[in-house]
Amino acid sequence: MHEFLFINGLSGLLIITALMVILSKKAINSAIYYAAQSFVIVVLFIFLGAQTGSGELYLWSFTAFITKVLLVPFIMYTMFRRLDDGELGSGQVMPAAFSAIGAALIVILCYAVVSGVTLPSAENLKPALAISLAHFFLGLFCIVAQRNILKQVFGYCLMENGSHLTLAILAPNAPELVEIGIATDAVFAVAIMAVLGTRIFGKFNSLDAGKLTTLKG
Amino acid sequence: MPTLSHFLLAVVQALALFAVAPLISGLSRFERAKMHTRRGPSIFQDYRDIYKLLRRQDLAPGEAGRIFQFMPVVMLATLMVIATGLPMLTRFTPISAVGDLITVVYLFALIRFFFSLSGLDSGSSFAGIGASRELTMGVLVEPIMMLALFVAALLAGSTNLGEIGIAISSGTVHSAAATLLAAGAFAFALYIELGKLPYDMAEAEQELQEGPLTEYSGPSLALVKWGLALKQTLVVGWFIGVFLPFGSATEMSFFGLIGGLIAFVIKLFVIFGVIAVIENSVARARFRLTPQHSWLGVGAASLAFVFYLVGL
Repeated sequence: MHEFLFINGLSGLLIITALMVILSKKAINSAIYYAAQSFVIVVLFIFLGAQTGSGELYLWSFTAFITKVLLVPFIMYTMFRRLDDGELGSGQVMPAAFSAIGAALIVILCYAVVSGVTLPSAENLKPALAISLAHFFLGLFCIVAQRNILKQVFGYCLMENGSHLTLAILAPNAPELVEIGIATDAVFAVAIMAVLGTRIFGKFNSLDAGKLTTLKG
Repeated sequence: MPTLSHFLLAVVQALALFAVAPLISGLSRFERAKMHTRRGPSIFQDYRDIYKLLRRQDLAPGEAGRIFQFMPVVMLATLMVIATGLPMLTRFTPISAVGDLITVVYLFALIRFFFSLSGLDSGSSFAGIGASRELTMGVLVEPIMMLALFVAALLAGSTNLGEIGIAISSGTVHSAAATLLAAGAFAFALYIELGKLPYDMAEAEQELQEGPLTEYSGPSLALVKWGLALKQTLVVGWFIGVFLPFGSATEMSFFGLIGGLIAFVIKLFVIFGVIAVIENSVARARFRLTPQHSWLGVGAASLAFVFYLVGL
């Protein structure tokens, strides 16, 4: 019973770190918070592994540590450090408080959805499952409620983290190959988006998604 | 039903806090001076200030009424009532009727009410504007406080502050994330309530924020200053009693109480140290910025409530 409490509590921490990623003013700070969040996910995988007795999850946590805690934040930190759009500010569309309340609403909605589904494999982990689903939508929320294109990349990463956790909860015995697929996908997607962001900044001298209305070669 | 020893404990802890409150406010003045690399006053300076004011003549504006005269006494008396009810040395509340979260929140609101009323009653327009600011602050802070405490109360299954503290310290609350988030939101609300930078400066009676103090002088001003110092100590004690009761006595025994006292003093020092660092590393925020910050606190508290509902 104690393990479930811990896993559910840690997944609560995920929502808080996700909010920090969304609300932080600078993209490089978001990268640091993202690394912290990925570390929480790694710890969650280890606890899930201990609870389900699945050896695969330990391997997952190892690869996730390499890619998500070290590699992806490193790429983002080094690429985004040089890009700064003073005019845009934080790029938030709505006040920070609304984002927090919006996150609360998303969590409630996802819990309502998950509680209607019977899942014998994840009966005690329903809160964590709801959080992983909510996390996906929180990432979507980050993309929608942000005009800063670099922060939108973080939205993608949050969505990806959410789906990763869902997979770990529902299919703890999935082979390592699946995990490697997800992890490499994340690394390459982020690298491509970082290059795109740099190119856009080079052409437009702005990170505002609202200004990307003209085609420039 | 409180026994005689509970009553004794309640009276002793209220009187002890009353006695050391100027020392604690003097300590934060001393810390501020050290962080500014000034020599600063001694930590006993606030006792001297109060002693000096107590010997002065008490002047009141011609337009001032009864409320203006009563306010310092009402404020101090209410604070003493709160001090008897908070669990500080022990995990349980000495007098459980006072140690209820709704009672305590409203006793603090009563102080705020009289504080602003005295500003209006003094007849000074400057004090009147200060009074309205004080009430605005209350409107912003109290929702966070109530919501965060209600989450803790729901988790513990009781609105008694001591029961909440016992549940948290024994780990019977089945929702770690909600507890932590509620504690964070509550700490934020209490920080605003403390009257420290960046939101407020409780000792600056020349400023608009503490405008209601403008017309006070002599012994009344001494009592209000003493009250403000006591309020800061109590607010921190409130947080310790509810969310950090670790090390407090679990039952009434001499050594238990001594241990509780030592733990309480250490926690008080650490928290005031952290507060001093925050207070002296920020600039003053514009008053219109405060609602934006406090709404974030409401957001955090409502997220804590959702975490409770979901069962994280």
